[in-house]
Amino acid sequence: MDEFEPKIVAFVCNWCTYAGADLTGTSRIKYAPNVRIIRFPCTGRIDFMFILKAFARGADGIIVSGCHPNDCHYTSGNFHARRRWIVFRSLLDFLGIDVRRITFSWVSAAEGAKWADLVNQTTAEIRKLGPYTSYHKISKPEEEVIYG
Amino acid sequence: MDRVKQKARDLLDSNKVQVVIGYEEGTDGTARPVFIMDSKNIDKLIFNDRCYHNLAVYLTKVEVEKIGRVAVEASLNTLKGIVKLASEGQFVFEDIDILGVNRNGELYEFASLDEVIDYIDQHPVEYSPEEISLLRKIESMTREERWEYWQEEFSRCIRCYACRAACPNCYCDACIVDINQPQWISPTPDALGNLEWHIIRAMHLAGRCVNCGACAKACPVDIPLNILNLKLAEEISKNFGISEEFLLTNYPLAIYDPNDKENFIK
Amino acid sequence: MARIGVFICHCGENIGETVDCTKLAEVTSRFPGVVKSVDYKYMCSEPGQTLIKEAIKENRLTGVVVAACSPRMHESTFRKTCSEAGLNPFLCEIANLREHCSWVHEKSEEATNKAIDIVRALVEKVKLNEPLYPIKVPVTKTALVIGGGVAGIQAALDIANGGHKVILVEKNPSIGGHMSQLSETFPTLDCSQCILTPRMVELAQHPNITLYSYAELESLDGFIGNFKVKIRKKAKSIDENLCTGCGLCTTKCPVKKIPNEFDENLSYRKAIYVPFPQAVPNKPVIDRENCTYYLKGKCKICERFCPTQAIRFDQQDEIIEVEAGAIVLATGFDIKRADFFPEYGFGKYKDVIDGLQFERIASASGPTLGEIRRLSDGKIPKKVVFIACAGSRDPAKGIEYCSKICCMYTAKHAILYKHKIHDGQAYVFYMDIRAGGKNYDEFTRRAIEEEGAKYIRGRVSRIYERDGKLIVVGADTLMNARPVVIEADMVVLATAGVASPGSEELAQKLHVAYDQYKFFTEAHPKLRPVETNTAGIFLAGACQSIKDIPESVSQASGAAAKVCGLFSQNELTRDPLIAVVNRTAPPLYSTCVGCFLCQSVCPYQAIEKEEIKAKDGSVIKIIAKINPGLCQGCGSCVALCRTKSIDLLGYTNRQIYAEVDAILNTL
Repeated sequence: MDEFEPKIVAFVCNWCTYAGADLTGTSRIKYAPNVRIIRFPCTGRIDFMFILKAFARGADGIIVSGCHPNDCHYTSGNFHARRRWIVFRSLLDFLGIDVRRITFSWVSAAEGAKWADLVNQTTAEIRKLGPYTSYHKISKPEEEVIYG
Repeated sequence: MDRVKQKARDLLDSNKVQVVIGYEEGTDGTARPVFIMDSKNIDKLIFNDRCYHNLAVYLTKVEVEKIGRVAVEASLNTLKGIVKLASEGQFVFEDIDILGVNRNGELYEFASLDEVIDYIDQHPVEYSPEEISLLRKIESMTREERWEYWQEEFSRCIRCYACRAACPNCYCDACIVDINQPQWISPTPDALGNLEWHIIRAMHLAGRCVNCGACAKACPVDIPLNILNLKLAEEISKNFGISEEFLLTNYPLAIYDPNDKENFIK
Repeated sequence: MARIGVFICHCGENIGETVDCTKLAEVTSRFPGVVKSVDYKYMCSEPGQTLIKEAIKENRLTGVVVAACSPRMHESTFRKTCSEAGLNPFLCEIANLREHCSWVHEKSEEATNKAIDIVRALVEKVKLNEPLYPIKVPVTKTALVIGGGVAGIQAALDIANGGHKVILVEKNPSIGGHMSQLSETFPTLDCSQCILTPRMVELAQHPNITLYSYAELESLDGFIGNFKVKIRKKAKSIDENLCTGCGLCTTKCPVKKIPNEFDENLSYRKAIYVPFPQAVPNKPVIDRENCTYYLKGKCKICERFCPTQAIRFDQQDEIIEVEAGAIVLATGFDIKRADFFPEYGFGKYKDVIDGLQFERIASASGPTLGEIRRLSDGKIPKKVVFIACAGSRDPAKGIEYCSKICCMYTAKHAILYKHKIHDGQAYVFYMDIRAGGKNYDEFTRRAIEEEGAKYIRGRVSRIYERDGKLIVVGADTLMNARPVVIEADMVVLATAGVASPGSEELAQKLHVAYDQYKFFTEAHPKLRPVETNTAGIFLAGACQSIKDIPESVSQASGAAAKVCGLFSQNELTRDPLIAVVNRTAPPLYSTCVGCFLCQSVCPYQAIEKEEIKAKDGSVIKIIAKINPGLCQGCGSCVALCRTKSIDLLGYTNRQIYAEVDAILNTL
């Protein structure tokens, strides 16, 4: 039987984490191929609905990453994002959604190695947790019942 | 109550306001909102524990605006709704006449918005023991149990949006559920759509909710929505050290403290 | 219908070795809407770009995805390529196959599959891209400089010499700032006035510069290129056109005992006064708080003696409105004063003074005419203790930063003292000597080795007076923290430099960020040190952090270069990737409900209120409006908006949904 390969989506800001992931490449550091990156201008742009949408579309894990505090290209986007995550994460946890599947992180443009570690650790963690069946199950449209 | 009625009558008779929004006796021992435009109907006005509707909800309605100037019989919760709406620029506080009523139905008069805020500060929100115990019960469940609990609760949701209609802070002309470019939320009352709707509703009210509980009381299938609001109110106060007084006129998710603490960011 | 072209670059072997580019091209060609999919060795090369251009024309492409290196590398290259072929550059997206895929994975099926996913996401995104056009904003080619110290003077002169109009606003009656108070300057010991006053005169006479002294910023509106400024010109109580600056009024004024700020309160001035002999403008002002006429209703002696009838007791503050395209903030610094140092007896003992007071005492134009004397009894001090880091680098005092200039000026003080009092002994208590700068360390060593200043590494715990001497109790940490007691005649505290008073209020008027110490914050600590986060507002000198003269002047020239760069064009071109508020058909007009909670998340104050009016002029609705001149496109407001009325061009909600959908849509 095939080993489970987690599907992970990463929402990252353009100025720090995206550039950090570029540096991982430039440094030729290898990491797990399970992550797909979506680029945002800033973590402040990341709507919490995008996270739910990714789970609904089949993601097993999600990474959300941006600039370290005080490093935001726009001064405060990451601070606003952090507040939103604090509230959002506690709501998800309260609803029984598996918050271990969402990794929040700060990865700077200089932290190429940290990005590789983050991806590898997250992939290993999600591999251990297995596919996010309970969420995916409710996300599939119910089969149409044909009366007649 | 007599003074409330007298003031309402005077306002209508002098044509200072065109409508008084208050409570009247409903059917089966319930109380319900009433719109009085003729002072001869003033005696319908009541106030008691059954008057739980947050009447601030009507103040943002175009239909009400069209009638003219409004006086509103305002309980503590309605007052909170009014202050919140005024702080979010939905109307000018001075454009509304307030017939404040305390728990015993006695008239409370306010000369200014600051006086209303002071009055609210003197009456901090009190959660019922039932609410607190349900919150703690859910918190103590395992993640899987919480998931099952809420899936079960949400499975009853028929997406009637009574919770939205009852909430003074749900005043958007176009709610996110009505937007389909992109389709933010699955529109059908299925498990995913219901979960997403209740997450969005809770998130949009986080830091804005006045904890009046009208949403839960309006729910025809008894989903304990107030517990979600309560949970987030607790989290906001715990994480950001924000007082109820500050929340009344500020939105904590549009500001930040560089030293906000979290332990989950890697 | 979308007609998308996908262009896959091998980047030599950088991508091609790991990802199966042929397969990638074949799979992507089957994506819905893709009409052209091709791989090539080097897409960024001339033939590669030609290939893209020809394909755009031949296939009438409506969107392009270039699967190559990071967009941070070649996004602008390929967008330009598209533009040259007649396709709007914002209809081109880059799939990052090199940095995010081939360089970080081994050659494998997974790598190719990941590349397919990446391309699929961007194909779906680009289908929703809209043509965007750079935003043009007109530029008013006048600069406003706030603060007339050395930084403000330098910035104003540089901009004016660049051919642009400058308005300089100085709150004091004269420009010159702290530099004009200094005796001599490190590390060359040239006289401060001698090098500064020619600049002050040049500024006053410059045809491109308008100087408003004794004036402050009242309010600011507008945005980069288009600021609307109100300046409050405080009433000087004289008619500047009539006044010749003869000084007769000052001589005759009977109010004599007003502490002279320019001399750090070590001498007195009159109620009608010129702050110092070389002041620019060299015309007096009446200090209304101390003038007998304003206090008691009669006197007017100055008026009687004025040969040109220039005194105007009834003059009012005047509000002047000007337009400016750029602003340079050069409001300088202040130092901590007596009440901050009770442990050193500062304020209690007359001979414990601060660095600026020492400058005045050492200055030839100062209260002692340059002779170093004790303030208490006028005697020559034979032992002087200088204490560096008085307040600075002291978390207990709430100032954690290094004030930076003190090490150098303390060494200068020790040298100046020795030059004037040959048999005197200077002691310097210090924490570390920070003498990084051209000829700085040499200068400090000169103080120690040639001028005989005794440097003691340690802090002073207490100062008290005994028999007319100041007993300085400290420790020498290089001698096992041995206690040191010095019977000094004078103590000079190098007190911490702090933001100038009113900085916070000014920052709020300008919507400029400031730190916990009220210093203005630069847009980026390394790469944009002279800009603020508010476009069009620049920083010069110590208002950003404490700086010495060469640093302040350099930054001022930097700010001036930024302003001249801005003024080199008639219109500003700005990236169109900004937020916009939607508009819909009546009766809604917009889904925005006008809660304006978005206003406080915007770091750029770009969100304004817009009134939607009926034909009769009545207001139907008030909604948010994003000022395209100010928005930088972070998207924080977009995520916050409950009704999704704001969207970010280039990263719209629909585009991101499409990406999320596509990237997970592995079949």
